[in-house]
Amino acid sequence: MLIRLIVPGEIARVEDLNTSLEAVLTRHGVDAGVRGDVRLIVEELASNAIEYGGGDGVDVGQHELSVDIGMDGDLLTLRFRDQGAPFDPLSAQTPDLEADILDRPIGGLGLYLIRQIAESMHYERIDDCNLLRVSLRVPTPENQR
Amino acid sequence: MSLQIDILPPANGSQRVALAGRLDTHTYEDLDVALAPLLHRQQQSLVLDLAGLEYISSAGIRSIFKARKALGGHGGKVLLVNPQAQIQKVLDVVKAVPMHEIFVSTAEADAYLDAMQRKVLRGDQDEDE
Repeated sequence: MLIRLIVPGEIARVEDLNTSLEAVLTRHGVDAGVRGDVRLIVEELASNAIEYGGGDGVDVGQHELSVDIGMDGDLLTLRFRDQGAPFDPLSAQTPDLEADILDRPIGGLGLYLIRQIAESMHYERIDDCNLLRVSLRVPTPENQR
Repeated sequence: MSLQIDILPPANGSQRVALAGRLDTHTYEDLDVALAPLLHRQQQSLVLDLAGLEYISSAGIRSIFKARKALGGHGGKVLLVNPQAQIQKVLDVVKAVPMHEIFVSTAEADAYLDAMQRKVLRGDQDEDE
């Protein structure tokens, strides 16, 4: 594991999370494209957990978000844990991308973006937490040829 | 890093706005507020110059959707110019904007707007005759 970060579940802390992750990834020579993907995944998952994680009548302010990131060969894996209401992002509905712009609902895009960008995703509910593992393929001189 | 929003002087019935930095969950409301006065019925086109924009998330995409929806109601358009790699990737994935409304340069967008305007002018003349 390269790093584990734990922050309070507040929108203002999401940027701290991403700033720290970006610094670590840069130090490990991860290219800007993958860093952008990581930033996107963390922002979408964190803001989702903060906005919707409360469920009915649960105080969202009590939440903690934890992200750890590891590299195994050319696979970078993010493990995202939140203490919110049970939610499997893999079960979320796919937005209708063919619909006319005027008919499209605003929203529902964040999880779809992650599903498209990720190499693989895995969801588990463990110890009253949502645990989502997201893997990304990191370009290396070998796999780019 | 935050979002810089430059509202440039309108030209040719078109409003240009240059964005730099990050358009995300922390900054999209600033853009919504800045664009709101521009999204009126007389506005035919809004050109968003994204050359300085480094990052966009779904929150930013929603802001562009909102602007498109507001202008689209009376046939107006939102054109995107100079998207960097991360932004182009996100636009592609969510099909936020038809490909023919994304331009690699302001010159290209201008040519498109000129052609649109000529079409409108020709239409007006036809009605006069």
